[in-house]
Amino acid sequence: MSDAAYNAWRITSLSTLPAWLLALALCALAAGVWLSFRGFRSEPAGARRIALLGFRLLAALLVLVLLLEPGIELRSESRVRARIVLLFDTSRSMKYPASPGGPSRAQELQKWAAQHKPDLAQLASQFQVDVYGFDKELQPMDPSRLPADPQGPATDLMSALTGAASAGTGGRPLAGLFTASDGADNAELGEGLSPAAAETLRKLGAPVFALPIGAQAQKDLAVEKIAVDDFAFVRNQVTLDVTLSARGFGATDVPVTLRREGQVVAQKSVRVGGDRSRYEVKLTFVPDRTGKFAFTVGVPVYEGEALAQNNQKSFVLKVIRDRVRVLLVVGRPSWDVRFLRQLLKRDPNVDLISFFILRTPGDDPHSSQDELSLIPFPTQEIFQEQLKTFDLVIFQNFNHRPYRMSQYLDGIAEYVRDGGAFAMIGGDQSFSAGDYSGTPIEDILPVTLLPPGPTAIDETPASLHLTDAGRRHPVTELAANAALNDQAWGALPKLPGLNTTGPLKGGAQVLLQSGEGRPVLVVGEAGRGRALALLSDSSWYWSFVAAGAQLGPRAYETFWHSAIRWLVRDPALTPMRVAAERPSFEPAGSGSEPPALDVQVRGSDYGAAAGARISVVESSAEDPVPRAAGSAVAGPDGNARIVLPSLPPGAYKTTVTARRADGTEVGEAEDAFVVAPASRELIEAAPRPDLLAAIAAATKGRVIDAGDALAKLPWRDPERVEVGQRTSKPLWDNWKVLVLLCCVVGAEWTLRRRWGYA
Amino acid sequence: MPTRRQLLAWPLLVAAGRALAFGDEARLVFAQVRHAGRWDPRPDGLSRLAWEIARRTSIETSPQVKPIGLADPELYRYPFAVLSSDQGFPAPAENEIAQLRRYLSYGGFLFLDDASAQKGGAFEHSARQLVSSIVPGAQMARVPREHVLYKSFYLLDGPAGRVAATPDLDGLELGGRLAVLYSGNDLIGAFARDSLGTWEFEVTPGGELQREKSIRLGVNIAMYALCLDYKEDQVHIPFIMKRRRI
Repeated sequence: MSDAAYNAWRITSLSTLPAWLLALALCALAAGVWLSFRGFRSEPAGARRIALLGFRLLAALLVLVLLLEPGIELRSESRVRARIVLLFDTSRSMKYPASPGGPSRAQELQKWAAQHKPDLAQLASQFQVDVYGFDKELQPMDPSRLPADPQGPATDLMSALTGAASAGTGGRPLAGLFTASDGADNAELGEGLSPAAAETLRKLGAPVFALPIGAQAQKDLAVEKIAVDDFAFVRNQVTLDVTLSARGFGATDVPVTLRREGQVVAQKSVRVGGDRSRYEVKLTFVPDRTGKFAFTVGVPVYEGEALAQNNQKSFVLKVIRDRVRVLLVVGRPSWDVRFLRQLLKRDPNVDLISFFILRTPGDDPHSSQDELSLIPFPTQEIFQEQLKTFDLVIFQNFNHRPYRMSQYLDGIAEYVRDGGAFAMIGGDQSFSAGDYSGTPIEDILPVTLLPPGPTAIDETPASLHLTDAGRRHPVTELAANAALNDQAWGALPKLPGLNTTGPLKGGAQVLLQSGEGRPVLVVGEAGRGRALALLSDSSWYWSFVAAGAQLGPRAYETFWHSAIRWLVRDPALTPMRVAAERPSFEPAGSGSEPPALDVQVRGSDYGAAAGARISVVESSAEDPVPRAAGSAVAGPDGNARIVLPSLPPGAYKTTVTARRADGTEVGEAEDAFVVAPASRELIEAAPRPDLLAAIAAATKGRVIDAGDALAKLPWRDPERVEVGQRTSKPLWDNWKVLVLLCCVVGAEWTLRRRWGYA
Repeated sequence: MPTRRQLLAWPLLVAAGRALAFGDEARLVFAQVRHAGRWDPRPDGLSRLAWEIARRTSIETSPQVKPIGLADPELYRYPFAVLSSDQGFPAPAENEIAQLRRYLSYGGFLFLDDASAQKGGAFEHSARQLVSSIVPGAQMARVPREHVLYKSFYLLDGPAGRVAATPDLDGLELGGRLAVLYSGNDLIGAFARDSLGTWEFEVTPGGELQREKSIRLGVNIAMYALCLDYKEDQVHIPFIMKRRRI
């Protein structure tokens, strides 16, 4: 290889002696010079002293040269440019506005990249520039093709920085990293930069320069998390743990509101502002009815907030009952009362609260009040304060007039229309005979009433006959087979008389009637509630008297259990069921599957209703007007799956109705679900320039402005030299140095002799 | 031609018929068990009790007592049966025992009243034999003073009757309720009046106060039969405890 192949040189030692020996020799030479100097330091003539010292030093130097063997190293060197990593945020949070009402963060980033094209080119001329897009993972990216609609499912700054730092090839040194992001990390740095994370970043050994995107929109209030069980018991307090995040707020009292399908059920105020960014709020409420409901926790949207979408969050709560709470109000003790109370008290699924009128104002107990066990009838407490805690109210042969209850009848009717249940059982103080004609109670009953009078009761014994509706209805189902059911009812003892009523109301269904067609049992809907009218005070005949006829009390027990379950809408008694496939679906545009419902339709015999036509309407808390959302035909198993159109975020309720193949209505069923982004990426999306600043500070980098040129940033190490080939040549031949050394030593010796030194 | 008892019952019928009703079936009607012994020792007692109940409480009663045999299927229309005598009575036939067993287990109530008021007497012996044949091996047990029977309408501190032969009532529970109640003090005798309307028997040793207590016990028994443990519902407890302390 010729010397022309080398482009650099340097002086080097060619000695093969170990370093320690060279050091020892150096010490010996220094000692020799020192000893020599001691010998002539008293020499009065300065020129002689200098000459002697000079010769000795020269001799020592020559000895050193002999030992070190100086040479020249010829080198073939190449220069390696250091590496710079550019990281661009491609997570979905970049779709949100960079400033309130402004372009998206992704668009802001595209704009920056376009403006900095020359800057990036200049940077590329100085460094090896590696460009990545990052979200949950890293992917190579062209800065001129940054996505306008980023889809990254999460933001993981830590992984991006450490991954990109170690991703370089060829051993290029890392001069620094640059990241352009909104900083809305939802991975390791979601809670901020911990000391451990800062240490990891420091170990990268390179500065991080950060360009915060959307930093001008960092004011944001968000409902981050709601912790609540999947189900709750009706009339039992439910507590929600709500986590709010608030950034960029001064001291502000924020009302946190819990709504059930638009209706406020709980509210609490929390003061935000200061150093903290997360706040915990407990909301409590008592669900007053069963079912599946969509709830929404919301906070107001304040001016200048980065995001309005995350100011509310919805969830679905299934409210179930532990026991059916029944209020039994009785006008007078009787056998009918006794057998019903015994049945209800024995039922572990019933929580019975009963009030019997044991003494009327006309009765004379022949004693003082203190000798009686009677208590005042707490009408206000029951019918005003406690009413909504009951699933079912039963008036059994009870006349409201003597107890000044007129003022509460409106409330009872409203309770029923609002989803409660009401049953009136006959007797000489019930229906028309109980003076309910023209009262709000008549409004909710399935029958109209007559003014009180002698015609209010018909004492003609009544045999029992199922109507067509009664043959299909679960309340009157004593046997699975229709013929056996007819037979079972027909075999029961005649009732001794019936209350008489006016015409039936629209929608009312007579389930049982007498041989002459007088209604015995009528059911109907009242608003969202249900009502039952049993126009007899002798249903106990179906228990005790039937037992005497060797029938047993099963008919009585089955009837009342079914009646109560139907009244309180026990799902097991509904011929239709609907269930959203999941409690929460992704919103439209997310690419996920749209909401879907599983519907089950049963026939009048509770078997599969194949071919039933099913229709769905949906409404939301924001838009309560029902809209058609889909339809289907039930398959041979009576089931159907209905896919709804994709919906924007919100809490939704679907109501499903069906008609059997023969055209009869099956009924309706409801379910609730939530459409909301499941990903934290779209929930905790507020820009976090503070996190970016902390990362920059931990790595001795800094936050830059959009106008700053990347090429002019203080990157750590601009380039590195690498040596390819090298060769060494001695500078001097050893014998020449040796001769020179001999000459110097000889000259010194001569002079010393001449000047009188030994 | 109306009988003497029918004539006496007329004012009671007027009092009891003050409301519309589905006939006697809706009312409390005592069924008097017709057995092979002296089954009706206090002919007016139960009618008088029915009248007192109707006068004092909201319960609608019928003054007509229904005499009935244990084997009669009609027995099931009268869930309150009374079996009384002033002497022992022959054990009912097997089918009657079976009927009574069924009657009681499905909700019937049987009140046994010893009109002889002789502790350990023939009636008590027969009654206890009857009960142990209804539920083989079962024995009637003392009804504790805390039982709801003593507070179902009046707050009572113990039993009463024409005499004070036994300090307690005995009973047999079926399905968590008293199905059989036994009084050894001729309770019905304390209600009985003669044809002129005067009390038929002197009440000893407490006189009229004891008679009033007897009526109150009769009212409480009827109220218990119709309301069971209603007065043990939580809502009543504070009121009752307060009044008990007075």
